[in-house]
Order: sequence, then C-alpha cells, then structure tokens
Amino acid sequence: MEVDREDGRSQNQLRPLACSRNILHRAHGSASWSQDTKVLAAVYGPKAGTKKNENPEKACIEVIWKPKTGQIGKPEKEYEMILKRTLESVCILTVNPNTTTSIIVQVVNDDGALLPSAINAACMALVDAGIPMKHLAVAVCCCVAKSGYVILDPTKLEEQKMKAFAYLVFPNSVHSVLPEGSLRVEGEPIENGIITSVTHGIMSVDDYFYCLERGRAASVKLSDFLRRNLQQQSTDSSKAG
Amino acid sequence: MENKQSSSPASFVDSTVVPGDVVLDLSSMTNQTIKLGGGLRQDCDAISAMKAGTLRFSKPNKYWIESSQKRYVPCVEDTILGIVVDSKADNFLIDIKGPAMGFLPVLAFEGGTRRNIPKFEVGTLLYLRVVKANFGMNPELSCTDASGKAAEFGPLKDGYMFETSTGLSRKLLSSPACPVLEALGKKLSFEIAVGLNGRVWVNAASPDTIVVVANAIMNSECLSGAQQIIMVDHLLKNIQ
Repeated sequence: MEVDREDGRSQNQLRPLACSRNILHRAHGSASWSQDTKVLAAVYGPKAGTKKNENPEKACIEVIWKPKTGQIGKPEKEYEMILKRTLESVCILTVNPNTTTSIIVQVVNDDGALLPSAINAACMALVDAGIPMKHLAVAVCCCVAKSGYVILDPTKLEEQKMKAFAYLVFPNSVHSVLPEGSLRVEGEPIENGIITSVTHGIMSVDDYFYCLERGRAASVKLSDFLRRNLQQQSTDSSKAG
Repeated sequence: MENKQSSSPASFVDSTVVPGDVVLDLSSMTNQTIKLGGGLRQDCDAISAMKAGTLRFSKPNKYWIESSQKRYVPCVEDTILGIVVDSKADNFLIDIKGPAMGFLPVLAFEGGTRRNIPKFEVGTLLYLRVVKANFGMNPELSCTDASGKAAEFGPLKDGYMFETSTGLSRKLLSSPACPVLEALGKKLSFEIAVGLNGRVWVNAASPDTIVVVANAIMNSECLSGAQQIIMVDHLLKNIQ
C-alpha cells in the first residue's frame, strides 16, 4: 500500500546515514551517528574496579545518557537501563573481569528514532575502543499507523502521529568461512535473532510480527553500511594497524 | 582493503573483519596446532573475531587481529612506559593504560635487595618489561631484562611524554626504521623511548627540538612514508 510521507520517502526507506568514529580526542572510543537525529557516544575503559552491587567476575558496563536540553529525569534513566542491557548482551563480559566500561551518550539532535540512533552510536563507539564483542548491534525503529501500514525510521512528527512504534535491535549479519548453514543457533542463522524490543502504544500481534520482518530487512542494509564504514576507516587513516 | 583470496575459498586473511565474523573453521584443520593472538576467540570449532581490524597470519600457525586502540592489552615480553601510582610493601602500582594496574615487584631491579629498594615518587615515568600477563590477574612488570641486567629499563629523567595509539607505537618500533624517525634523526639529535602501550618519551638538549619531534610523531599517524618525509622537511624548514 503506497503511503505519502512528508519528506517524500517510501515506507521502507531509511534516512541518509552518516557515522564517524574516533572524533573525541580524550575518550578511549567515540562515534557519532546521524540520520537527521544525531547522537554522540563516548567510551571510557576498561578501568579497574566494579561498582558495589555488580558481579566482580564479569566486566561491568555503565551508561550515562545526557539529553540535549533539560534536567536528567526518569525517561533518561529508562534509556540508560535499556542501553545497558542491550550492550551487556552484545559485549563479551568475561574477557576483562572486575573492570568498568563507561559509555556516555549525548543527544545532539532529536528528530525521531532517538533510542535506535543511540544504540548504533554506542555500538560503534565500543568497536572504536576495542572492547571485545560477540557481534554488532543494529537498531531500527518501526511505526504502525492507524490504518495498519508500517513505516521505518519515522521523524519526530511521524512518531507522534502514529498509533504505536517499536524500537528493534538485531545482531548484525556475519561473514563466515564456514559453509552456509553451519553457524546456526537452534536451527536459525544468527541474524534472525533479536536483542532488544521496546514497544510503545497499542498494536496487534500480526502488526508486531510485520514490524519485525520489515525491521530485519532494514537491519541487513544497516549491517552492510556498518561493515563498509569499518572497512573504509581502517584503510583510511589514524586507526591503520 | 583488497580481499586477498588464498588457495582456500573465502579466506579473510589480510582483510577487514567485524566482531562476530567467523574467520577459521577448525573442523577442516585436524592435527594442526593453531596459535591465536589478540582479538580472536574460540567457540567450539569456529574461531570468531572479537574486535574490528585486519586479520593477519604469520607462518606457520599464528593468527591475530591487528587494530589500533587508545588502550593497551598487556602481553608478555612487551616493553612499555608506566607511571607510578602508588607504592606498597612488596610492589609498586603502575598505570599502564590497560584494564588493570601493573605490579612492579620492589626487588625487580638489577642488584635489587631489600636494603636498596628504589624510592619512586608518584608520577615517575618508568620504562618496563611485561613479565606476566595472565587472565584476571594484574600484569607483573620488571625493570630488568630476562637475564637480570638493567638494559635501559628504569626511570626516565627529564624529557617529555605524550600519548599515542598502540598502532602508532608499533609503527615507530618497526624495522626497517619508521620514515618519520629516520627523517628527524638526519637533522636533529634526540633520545626517544617508545612504549607499546601507546606512550612515547622524547628528550633532547633544547625544548624546541623536543616539541618538533613530538609534533612530527603525532602528525605522522595518518600519513604514508613519503608524506611523512615531506611533513618532516616542512616542519624543519620552518624552525631553521
């Protein structure tokens, strides 16, 4: 079903992506992610010592969310918790036991799909800092409108008008030397898994599954973008080994 | 980065890999011992990448991921620059830019006995060697080489220390000599100590030489060999 979006995009079209790494001089890893919504992430660590209530046999991840304006309140704490849980499942926590890695996320511009942009920026900053990870996390936002159609990557106005939206985080698609089909978890390739799903509003189960399908297709494109970005910057400059 | 295809299909050696990529399949390599370096981990029969970087292979059987970071992962027999943070009864606590503090035993000096323990102030810069770097433990350091001689290890006096990425320190220590150091060495005289943990110390007779050398090294990270020589010529022309 063709739908008219204000900026002329089609239903499944994402806004132009831009990602740069190693932009902050003092941070151990940093990345900025922009899709109209712009988020800056900085990683410090791993540093010795964990917090009081954390398991000292694993690495600890601490997230600090800094909004563009205003004081820090409950919504920021919720974003911090979602980011922390997502990144904990993506990083390999047993490599550096009894250490803390701090991730600071600064919102520069909020124009819809804020949390997925933050997750993408934080993931790229972790790669920039060299924190060991199982795979990358790729996040998209899907909205369901009243008439039932699903659009990807909404702007802030679209997000407010929609009936419901979902932030979905998938693992990236991996390249493997193994023959097709051998790297599977319980019979499905790794890309079919899901790391995080945050939903807001009311949608039917069918709509949710349709969102998952659209989101997964978009996550493949995002994975390719991330891979090209990492390849290009490794041949390019400063981080050449 | 070109994808060099070796005789086996889909080989990732010398190409960029992303965390999660499976780079080796052990089930097809029976009766071989493979040594895994930094950035790789083993999942039953599949070796996958933990970091983004270039996969390297050295005959006969070593694989590792080459990448450049601002933090250091301690490795045995690396020479590094550490800063004293604290001193305890048995060890000095040394900051080596890694996930844990390094321990320098009080007796790990040439001719070191309980009676002549060196007194290092907090903030002293030391040139050290990593003796042990085990999982979950603080790395152990030493101011002597493997045979117990001092061999240039120990405190570095005067001079200027600055931080770089680990990739740049490896380039500075590569042989044949790094172009920027060779070009600087032809015109200036200075002393330099490079730590594999991303710290470089420079000392020279006059402060302007030190500043020129430090700036040249920091600028050389993104440049190719020829560009580095041109950059150094440019810098030296401006000060003479």
